[in-house]
Amino acid sequence: MATTTGLRRAATGVGVAGPGAPLHHGKNKQLSRGAITMVLLVAPSVVLLLLINAYPLIYAANQSLHKGSLIITGKFVGFANYTDVLTRPAFWQAARFTLIFTLVGVFGSWLIGLALALLLRTRIPGGTVFKVLLMLPWVVPIVVSSTAWNWLVATPSSPVPALAERLGFGQLLFLADPTLAAITVCVFKVWVSFPFMMLMTSAALASVDTTVYEAANMDGATKWQQLTQITLPIVSRSTYISWILMTIFCVNDFPTIFLLTGGGPVTATSSLVVLAYRTVFQDFQTGPGVAIAFLMTIVLVIISTVLYRQIRKGETA
Amino acid sequence: MTALEVGGHPAVVPVKELTVKGSAEPGTKGQWGRFSLLLVITVVVLIPIYVTLFLSIRPGSFSTSSSFFTLGNFSYIFASSDVLTWLVNSLGVTVVTVLISVAVAAPAGYVLSRGRSRAVAGYSLLLFIIQSLPIITAVIPLFILFAKIGLADNLIGLVIVYVGSTMSVATWMMAAYFDSIPHTLEEAAWVDGASVFGGFVRIILRNSLPGILSTAIFAFLVAWNDYLVALVFLKSSNVFTLPVGLQSFFQQNATDWGSVMAVSVVMLLPPTVLFAVLNKYFSVGGIGGSLAGR
Repeated sequence: MATTTGLRRAATGVGVAGPGAPLHHGKNKQLSRGAITMVLLVAPSVVLLLLINAYPLIYAANQSLHKGSLIITGKFVGFANYTDVLTRPAFWQAARFTLIFTLVGVFGSWLIGLALALLLRTRIPGGTVFKVLLMLPWVVPIVVSSTAWNWLVATPSSPVPALAERLGFGQLLFLADPTLAAITVCVFKVWVSFPFMMLMTSAALASVDTTVYEAANMDGATKWQQLTQITLPIVSRSTYISWILMTIFCVNDFPTIFLLTGGGPVTATSSLVVLAYRTVFQDFQTGPGVAIAFLMTIVLVIISTVLYRQIRKGETA
Repeated sequence: MTALEVGGHPAVVPVKELTVKGSAEPGTKGQWGRFSLLLVITVVVLIPIYVTLFLSIRPGSFSTSSSFFTLGNFSYIFASSDVLTWLVNSLGVTVVTVLISVAVAAPAGYVLSRGRSRAVAGYSLLLFIIQSLPIITAVIPLFILFAKIGLADNLIGLVIVYVGSTMSVATWMMAAYFDSIPHTLEEAAWVDGASVFGGFVRIILRNSLPGILSTAIFAFLVAWNDYLVALVFLKSSNVFTLPVGLQSFFQQNATDWGSVMAVSVVMLLPPTVLFAVLNKYFSVGGIGGSLAGR
């Protein structure tokens, strides 16, 4: 934030004026006269942010440096909770599952979202109706869709395992076998998330000038070449941003996993969030649990700072 | 300009924008083939949703009716469980969250959009970082603090957490919308003697209904769909909201799918109806944010 010309350029770069461009004098006079008003307008938000967001964060940071339970903060132990957590196999297993879950979630939903966005861009009878219907997995609460998925796959007599058995796959225990449970959770995440990617990609595709395709057609470019050499490069920035956003969603995700498998069987589908929850609320180890949440927080702050820079870069371009 | 660049705030893209004017392949060649493909995909993707609707209207294990279609599951759940209480709790918490969130975010968004200082820029970055933090990091200490002052297992405590978790994205969304309103409108009002506050209320807010609606929908979805916060905070059935209520009902009645799905339908109707009616105000930034780790 080097510039002092304020948020509209510093943070967002909105407006065409570059640094040193003439300012609206009338506006500035009035806005500085209204400085007290501006402070009052933003005050409730700042107060709430400090009380509900910042204070708990500081409290949690402190908690992660102490022994103790939910009720009592124990003695100061420095980074012992962190070293404790980092030497637990469960932590690394959760980190590994979070990574797999995130990779599958991001790229699975992106590929499906992209394919559908490309399909919906063409002329199709009832296209708008399909668009609205395909958004539903995203609109329906996770608690509801996880219940339906449970009905579909949970027991050996559920429809999907029964069908798999009839097709000769043998008895598949979708939520009881560690590998299959991990696959099922990832597929569920993709099912929930692809509409978001479809929406993002469609919005980006809408801005592509169609005349480039006419030119490409004249040059005899194949459809695949048009996609990989024209379309994807044009929407690459938006794609990149949607990947980072989806990464944040996947790393933060609790209900998708917890409601379908509870993090099980045993700990096969425990992501870092689920592990933090279980460590605090099922094993009553507050310090280590908060330490896990904090290690995630550090990663997410880095990711979101990168994203913020990306967004800003777009405006100044 | 991609969605996310609008005003530099997280994206606000109405669904209606997806209806693309010039398509890459004009003409009708092969459109029925593509239609069939899309139809098959949509039918398969929506299976979990039909399952929910279909099972909720089939005679449940407690009903003696043999008809194909029945509302018996619905009368059963309202008569013999706390569903009505959970529904009222969910509606109350959600409405209050939406009102507070918008009331706080709109003025703050105005400052973010129009303010010119390093502090404003810093605040904007801070809000952006806050919204990507794992909610679990805030939930654990808030639970400890609220347990001390009697706000755990309490709907007021829940509203406070929801306001905290929606406020940053809501502020960004409002700011993004205000960015799209020309400054000349306010400036004209100031010339006519209006104060900054007067200009904000009379000029900006009056022209911001779509932005306010998008923000309200976002806050609605966070509060309505949240499971993690409610799971941590709520312990007694009489203060359950629908997500934890449905989950506890599911655990107690795991074999009575008709009733479980009827509770599910009660829970999915409000957001689905909202989406059907207001889908042009559904925005990427909003819904995206509303799903972040909740």
